[in-house]
Amino acid sequence: MLYETLRSLFRRPVTVEYITKPGRMVPVPERFRGKLTYDRDACIGCMLCVRVCPGGVITSAEERKVAFNISRCILCGQCAEICPKGAIKMSTQFEIVTFDKNGLIVK
Amino acid sequence: MVVERNVEKEVEVEYARLRIPFGPVHPALKEPVSLRVSVRGEEVIDVDMVLGHVHRGIEALAEGRNLIQTLYLIERICGICSHSHTTCFIQALEEIGGIAPSERALYLRTLIFEMERIHSHLLLLGVMAYEIGFDTLFMFIWHVREKILDLFEKITGNRIHHAMNTIGGVRWNLTPQIASEINSCMKEMEKAVKYVRDIFTDGTVEKRICGLGVLDYSEALKLCVVGPTARGSGVDIDVRRDHPYAAYNDLKGNFSVITRRDGDVHARIEVRVLEIFESINIIRAILEKLPEGPIRPEENVLRLMRRIPEGEAVSLVEAPRGELFYFVKTDGKGGLRRLKVRTPTFSNLIGLKSMLLGCEIADIPVIVASIDPCLSCTNRVTIVDQRSGESKVVSLDALRRVVREK
Amino acid sequence: MNAAIALIISFPAVLLISLLFEGIDRKLHARMQKRIGPPVIQPFYDLIKLFNKGRVIPLTASVRVFEIMPMIAAAVSLLGASILLSGILFGLSMIGDLIVVMYLLAMSSIALMVGGSASGNPYSAIGFSRKMSMMIAYEVPMFIAVISVAFGSTPSLAIDRIIKFQANLGLPLAASRPSMSLAAAAFLLCMPAASSAIPFDIPEAKTEIIYGLLVEYCGPYLALAKIAKAASNFALTLLASIVFLYIPSLLWENAPLNSGISLSLCLTTALLIMFTTMTVPRTILARLKIGQALKFYWMVPLTLSLSSIILSAAGL
Repeated sequence: MLYETLRSLFRRPVTVEYITKPGRMVPVPERFRGKLTYDRDACIGCMLCVRVCPGGVITSAEERKVAFNISRCILCGQCAEICPKGAIKMSTQFEIVTFDKNGLIVK
Repeated sequence: MVVERNVEKEVEVEYARLRIPFGPVHPALKEPVSLRVSVRGEEVIDVDMVLGHVHRGIEALAEGRNLIQTLYLIERICGICSHSHTTCFIQALEEIGGIAPSERALYLRTLIFEMERIHSHLLLLGVMAYEIGFDTLFMFIWHVREKILDLFEKITGNRIHHAMNTIGGVRWNLTPQIASEINSCMKEMEKAVKYVRDIFTDGTVEKRICGLGVLDYSEALKLCVVGPTARGSGVDIDVRRDHPYAAYNDLKGNFSVITRRDGDVHARIEVRVLEIFESINIIRAILEKLPEGPIRPEENVLRLMRRIPEGEAVSLVEAPRGELFYFVKTDGKGGLRRLKVRTPTFSNLIGLKSMLLGCEIADIPVIVASIDPCLSCTNRVTIVDQRSGESKVVSLDALRRVVREK
Repeated sequence: MNAAIALIISFPAVLLISLLFEGIDRKLHARMQKRIGPPVIQPFYDLIKLFNKGRVIPLTASVRVFEIMPMIAAAVSLLGASILLSGILFGLSMIGDLIVVMYLLAMSSIALMVGGSASGNPYSAIGFSRKMSMMIAYEVPMFIAVISVAFGSTPSLAIDRIIKFQANLGLPLAASRPSMSLAAAAFLLCMPAASSAIPFDIPEAKTEIIYGLLVEYCGPYLALAKIAKAASNFALTLLASIVFLYIPSLLWENAPLNSGISLSLCLTTALLIMFTTMTVPRTILARLKIGQALKFYWMVPLTLSLSSIILSAAGL
């Protein structure tokens, strides 16, 4: 134990500083499920996503489109999976926190 | 748990007797449980337990949702063994609906299952080191655990809530590249866990964990403890071997059930450390044997959900903490009529009292941590009032009333 | 008059250095655990934050005692450290100041004990009883070691006399005679317990009794308690470095007492002593139980210090 600790004294630490600048953040794998993105034009209004969403994130909006309240999202990715047109995708953006609650509503 | 009142004890007035509340908020506890401990000097002479601080009403919530929504709700019962919960639930659904997942899906389920066991056991070992005041070991172990979490992120897209299971299969496939990454990670893991095992047999650590919190064989049988807690007391049970599910029937030759006879904290830790090695073996066997084929049915989940008729089923899995039990009753319209979950911690907590009696104050956190309590799994509808010895069941309406008042 | 001014000057210096020492300790501890760790001036940030917080006094506490004791603790441990520092800086000393410093350091722990137990919290009560046992365990060998030093050097209890003795000898005291090495070993073994760092942080065990005595302290009071702890740790390491391991004595014959070089050498030695007796044990060991700690202290350091005093009486 003593040997291991003294050795790690002169090594680079394992932890990394949390850097908020985009492009310098810790890389995430490609399957990572982050904030939802919604392609409004591709949506055909089948409402399948509304029925599978466990968090009540997705509500129907005007013109047979849907609206997302991201603050309720649990990032399960079920809506992206069931969407027949691929209009909903999970991005790799993991910093969802914001001061503006209304900014989290995607239409 | 109802503890009998001891009339003599209340009459006894003793100057040196001190009653300390251990929890619900305490740095040694990851989750709230309240132990009311009576001590004389440093010795513990009585323990009362109060549960129910993190009751979330999940079973009732599940009854108001459809099956797919429930699947993700169930996953959030526990952050550590989320995959065990969904597997158990999905197994029950597949039994009711007569849907057979493909071989490859079963193997992938088992793979995530064993990786989850490694990460859960490492978490517990780290917490254990933290409880005995060994912060460096805690950091080292959690550094090892981070590798498994990175693998989870690569395979399923999330570190803890994997969202791996779906009706009739799994959602994410394994590419050859990820498979080789798992292989190399297992190599590192084996080395790191060997190092951890050596430290746990080190002098100062052994002084803190040997001969503590003894739960002997007959007591363990009587109290029906499960999982590593039972195996540490010599009770040879393991759902993976006794009632094989997923791919465990094929993998029977690749793992053995570890038991220790001492029944103390050290035995429970040793069982967990050795189980990590068994899990590594299983994962290697899975990567070798992994059959080809589809991972999920062609139909989409909503259609599959509608195919599930009215019915009921019981399902068992071996979660990292022990046997996990689900009773599922569907209503035939894509919803649930009743869901009952019995988590391993619920069985193990009962054993805690007989472990704690007679130990020192310094040992309480060590012993409590040694059963690996996962209390937010355990806290469900029944509330037991220990002081009066009566138990009452809180109805959903009463709960809703309380919630609205807040 | 001069002495009072010197003490007042060295007060802020002591505060600064002791907090820096704590910061370095935390940084090294983190790096040994493979973490980046806090910046070295983190203790200053902590103090600023704590002093800006509100005061909360529990209903069960006896208010006066609860409020005053952290101040006394901080004041006496700062005073103890400044006596040592001004001893090196200005060559100030008086008869028996070694005993005064030891007494002030014990006093600071006792003040925190009394203040903590005045809060009425059951965890503080347990912390009180544990701290009491621990103090009996480590103070006795520590005092015996110091007395043995007093016998073995001139004989004197004044720090400047001990320093001059080492300077004349051209050797640190610990290397001068077997009895002195034993005393130094006993003293250094008592350091982790006196600083209540991890193998012996039993009275403040975080996962067992939630910081014990400090459980009800918050805001400015906690800040004062932290200052008290940092200053007394610094005082202990400095004491060990100038009494047992006065390195400047190796370099020059009759080393100058009040020069900047000897001060910085002493501080470096103090830092090394802190690293070996506080940082390393707290990184590589698990917390002991109170019975095990008592057994260790009665077995090893007490025997060492007793044999040291017997040897020094025999003139070895």
